[in-house]
Amino acid sequence: MHNIALLRLQMNHLVTQARQDLHSLSVMNDQSDQSQILQRLWDTVSTMHFISEMLANQASMPGYYVLPAPTLLPQQNGTTNQTSIPPITPLPNQTLPPPNQRQFTIEELATYDGKNGRPAYVAVDGVVYDVTNNRAWAAATHFGLTAGKDYTAEFQSCHAGQQSILATLPIEGSLT
Amino acid sequence: MEQPILPPESLTNEAIAARLTTTADKKQREGLIKKRNLVYLELNGCSGNIISLLNGQNPTFEYTLHSLVNLRYSNSLMASEGEQATEKLIDVLDEDFILAVEGAVALKDEGLYNVIGSWNDQPLTGLQAAQMLGERASHILAVGACATHGGVSAAKPNPSESVSLQDVLPDRNMIKLPGCPVHPDWFLGTLAHLLLYGEPETDNLGRPLMFYSTLIHDRCPRRPFFDRGIFAEKLGDKTCLFKLGCRGPVTRTDCPTRQWNGSVNWPIGDDTPCIGCSQFGFPDAMAPFISFDTTRVVKDE
Repeated sequence: MHNIALLRLQMNHLVTQARQDLHSLSVMNDQSDQSQILQRLWDTVSTMHFISEMLANQASMPGYYVLPAPTLLPQQNGTTNQTSIPPITPLPNQTLPPPNQRQFTIEELATYDGKNGRPAYVAVDGVVYDVTNNRAWAAATHFGLTAGKDYTAEFQSCHAGQQSILATLPIEGSLT
Repeated sequence: MEQPILPPESLTNEAIAARLTTTADKKQREGLIKKRNLVYLELNGCSGNIISLLNGQNPTFEYTLHSLVNLRYSNSLMASEGEQATEKLIDVLDEDFILAVEGAVALKDEGLYNVIGSWNDQPLTGLQAAQMLGERASHILAVGACATHGGVSAAKPNPSESVSLQDVLPDRNMIKLPGCPVHPDWFLGTLAHLLLYGEPETDNLGRPLMFYSTLIHDRCPRRPFFDRGIFAEKLGDKTCLFKLGCRGPVTRTDCPTRQWNGSVNWPIGDDTPCIGCSQFGFPDAMAPFISFDTTRVVKDE
């Protein structure tokens, strides 16, 4: 998957992208657009750094072409032995889970505590969400909360009205 | 020629800081900038912020004393002691001054868990000093985790009943500089902005946007590893430290670009996770700082 020709192609693409962004920045005046392009430029440079490290790594080990890099997206990583995550459709009435979803008791939910390689699930308003690879849940903890519990009240107290947060999380089932 | 062009000057941190300090020096000689009084009050804390401040470069702490402010009171650094020191504090009350406070305010037993001096043979508590000076200061800077939100001093079980500075001065606007400790640039930069241009633009939590606007995660040089799901398994690994409990994704500071100890390095650059020391609620809300037993799937060889 990560052969050298492909990495080179990706690198060239990033260089083109970076040059385009530099040009855009040098001619534009709009502050709000500038910050978006700066962010993209930053990400581009980080990715170039990453790929150059990867290339250097391969160059130093001639017989070692394929890195043990996971081919899965971060959202799917760590849940490979679970049922695959359906595409997320952020509907307004998301509190009603699809009928084919798994039913969790509170005791079952408690086993998905993000320890010993297990995924990290939390429940809000009766829906069970996967936070295993959610960036705000490093090591399956979030501002003193640990995974595997029902956090309806906590979500209300800190994120009232921010249903968009939930809409981005993969749904694993519902709480009975 | 209306188009903005990329500046030809050097844009390293050192070069920018040197240009700023030279300009400030010049303006001061020309009488365009006036030094103002600064009271630096240390309450219930560890003095870590003032130690961090002494590590400042571009500008240094010496520059701050010579050119930026008249430091009228500092528990740690002043030569006076006893009631003579307190007298200096009382003298400032009738003048214009900027108040910087590090450390939390201990409330238990009317503040007697944190006594900073004596006045008229009575103990002067941190609570009294914070209220007395806070009401009269022209600007207030809450410096460090303890002053901004209670921090380590207010961590469970909080035996001294410590609270943030805002809790004892609910009606005063203050600039909040969280961090354990605060970066010398965050404090000196805010102070310089205050003297040159007035109060800097802040977010809804009172933090200056120039230092606290961006998530560490969005500027992290290891972000590509996160995006590809390549995670460190132990301290010292050169990949994304997310599965060990990195708090970079919930902490807003410019650490990845500013770095520490004279822009030499920063925690993630030294392969150890961010512990979220600049996030409100630190340390309790950011614990555990490191976890090895996590969602990471360990494959057998």
